[in-house]
Amino acid sequence: MAHAIELREIRKSFGPVRAVDGLSLAVPQGAVYGFLGPNGAGKTTTLRMIMDIIRPDGGEIRLFGKPASSFARGRVGYMPEERGLYRKMTAAAVLRYFGSLKGLSGSQLAQCVPAWLERIDLAAHAGKKVEELSRGMHQKLQFAATVINDPELVILDEPFSGLDPVNQDLLREIITTMRDQGRTVLFSTHGMHEAEELCDFIVLINQGRVVVDGTLDQIRSRHESHTIAIEIEGDGAFVGTLPQVAAIRPDGRRLDVTLREGADPQELLRILVDRSRVRAFEVKHPSLHEIFVRLVGGGHVEDR
Amino acid sequence: MWKIGKVAQREFLDTVKTRTFLIGLLLIPVLIVGIILLSKKMAQSEGGPRPAIRVGLTSPAGELLSRITGAFADYNKANPQTPLTLQLLSEGQDGTASEQRGKEQLRQGKLEAYIVLDGDLESGKGSLLFYSYKSKASQIDALWTVERILRDAVIDRRYQARGIDPAMLAEIRNVPIRRVELGDEQGRERVQSEGQRVARMMVPFAFMYLVFIGIVGMGQHMISSIIEEKNSRIVEMLLSAISPFQLMAGKILGLAGVGLTVMALWGAAAYGTASWQGIKIDIGPDLLAYGLAYYILGFVLFSAILAGVGSICNTVKETQSLMMPITLVFVIPLVVWPQLARDPNGDLARILSYVPLTTPMLMVLRLSSGPDIWWGEVVISFLVLIAGVLVSFWLAAKIFRTGILLYGKRPGPREVLRWLREK
Repeated sequence: MAHAIELREIRKSFGPVRAVDGLSLAVPQGAVYGFLGPNGAGKTTTLRMIMDIIRPDGGEIRLFGKPASSFARGRVGYMPEERGLYRKMTAAAVLRYFGSLKGLSGSQLAQCVPAWLERIDLAAHAGKKVEELSRGMHQKLQFAATVINDPELVILDEPFSGLDPVNQDLLREIITTMRDQGRTVLFSTHGMHEAEELCDFIVLINQGRVVVDGTLDQIRSRHESHTIAIEIEGDGAFVGTLPQVAAIRPDGRRLDVTLREGADPQELLRILVDRSRVRAFEVKHPSLHEIFVRLVGGGHVEDR
Repeated sequence: MWKIGKVAQREFLDTVKTRTFLIGLLLIPVLIVGIILLSKKMAQSEGGPRPAIRVGLTSPAGELLSRITGAFADYNKANPQTPLTLQLLSEGQDGTASEQRGKEQLRQGKLEAYIVLDGDLESGKGSLLFYSYKSKASQIDALWTVERILRDAVIDRRYQARGIDPAMLAEIRNVPIRRVELGDEQGRERVQSEGQRVARMMVPFAFMYLVFIGIVGMGQHMISSIIEEKNSRIVEMLLSAISPFQLMAGKILGLAGVGLTVMALWGAAAYGTASWQGIKIDIGPDLLAYGLAYYILGFVLFSAILAGVGSICNTVKETQSLMMPITLVFVIPLVVWPQLARDPNGDLARILSYVPLTTPMLMVLRLSSGPDIWWGEVVISFLVLIAGVLVSFWLAAKIFRTGILLYGKRPGPREVLRWLREK
């Protein structure tokens, strides 16, 4: 089965700035893929190239095995980061317009426009002009406009930013439903929480290149934590003097121990068992947040 | 293709449905018809009552003076609503000269005009001194009438003095002219009124003006539409569903539709008013077809330029300052119109016919001015225009594609040139 999205060594420069620099990525069909990266990492540029809104300087983009330029429009739902809708049109008219641009017939529109308004809790506002709606409503409406034709592939640029928790849950639920129906979803986000909760795969890019790519478990296992939480009887001060330990930090009755590079947690456990009674010993799973900060930390690139 | 249609349809409805557009659309024909009717009414109401115009006169006694007083009396009898009162001023009892007194009274507002017959007018020498003081605009007509009465009286008196019969003279001078415009077929001749002759001159101008409004006026809508989509970031949503070319083409098509609607309505209003007033305007289907073709091409050319410029700007104001030089080119034909009307196939008209921006206006003007235009010029003008459209469309599409996604600072000319070189 062809990948839903396949990027091979794509490059794009804006003048002297290399926005995307040899980026490769394969998104399998039916997956929810998280697209992470600091500001200015090249996420939006990559998404725009997948949508054939801008053309790459080099490399190849294929969607479902076909060149992006012939496939993207109308069959991929894309919600850009920049939010905007015609202010003078009513909510229902906006959905009808985008639906018709994406090839839905009149009878299909008559059916799915009210259905989507219902689903995003805007049925009561169908006749209101866009300018009368709140920001969150805009965003939901824009999302509905993106997916109104039930595309096989949905690409969302920062879909969660600007939504309140209730609407974030609503969006999460809709994305989950889409995955259950076999749709492929690629979304960029700054919310590590959403990414951990929703994504089957995660790719982290920085300065136009892939830094990490894989399932959440793969990524976590590749980034073993150096932090271990222990609880032992008696005075734990000796732990800080062990050669394997870089630093300790008391955390209530526990101690957070940071190991030196290359030290084995098992060895630490053996020493602790020899010298004291161990009540708790936990190798801490690195959170996505930690991995993110560790990989791109310090190298933040500001928005142009 | 149907996507272009969808965009065009939305653009059309969106523009047409705005209140300001509807008001402008309806107001202007109403205004035109209103002005025509009002001026006609004003012309008719010349007989309406007005206060008497007081005229002072100093003249040696004699045959001429009695003729003048007679003429004023005749006039007042014929026009009781607009009386003229004539006062004879002679030397004052205190010895002030009559001229002195007349000027004094004029300044004091007791007279509207003061006239002195100076010298021997009867023999063809001397002159008629006509004094006025701060005349009101509303009195100017009446003062002309006074002048005419005086002249006629003097001329009459001269005839008489030389023994010429005025009736005979009138007979000699009377050469009736009937202006007849030949139709294409026998028996279609019709008498031309004065209005007809004016219309003959104005129709080409009206045509040219309609094309101007249709292109430049619609250009304003084009700009605001592009800027709205750019500023509210709709463009990216749109571009995920349709190509930049489809978006641009749809916009142009939709607004060209609006332009045609406006032109048709205004043209019909003008035509209707004219024929209601008894003025027949000859517009053949071939002229309309040419007009349509030139308009569409001209609009595509202009809006392609606008789309390119609009896409790199962030506000309507920014765009307008960039568009200023181009808009000025469109104004040239309107400014030099008298020259063009006199010589629709002259050098100036020819040169402007081959500047792609002014081609539509000029060719419409020339085609509606008369049949004596060489067909080769029509062909060449079309070729020039089409070449202009292709070049501008190609450039605009490149700029549009990049510029429309660029927010913030406007790119400089060097940057834009770089886009053009990109594949």
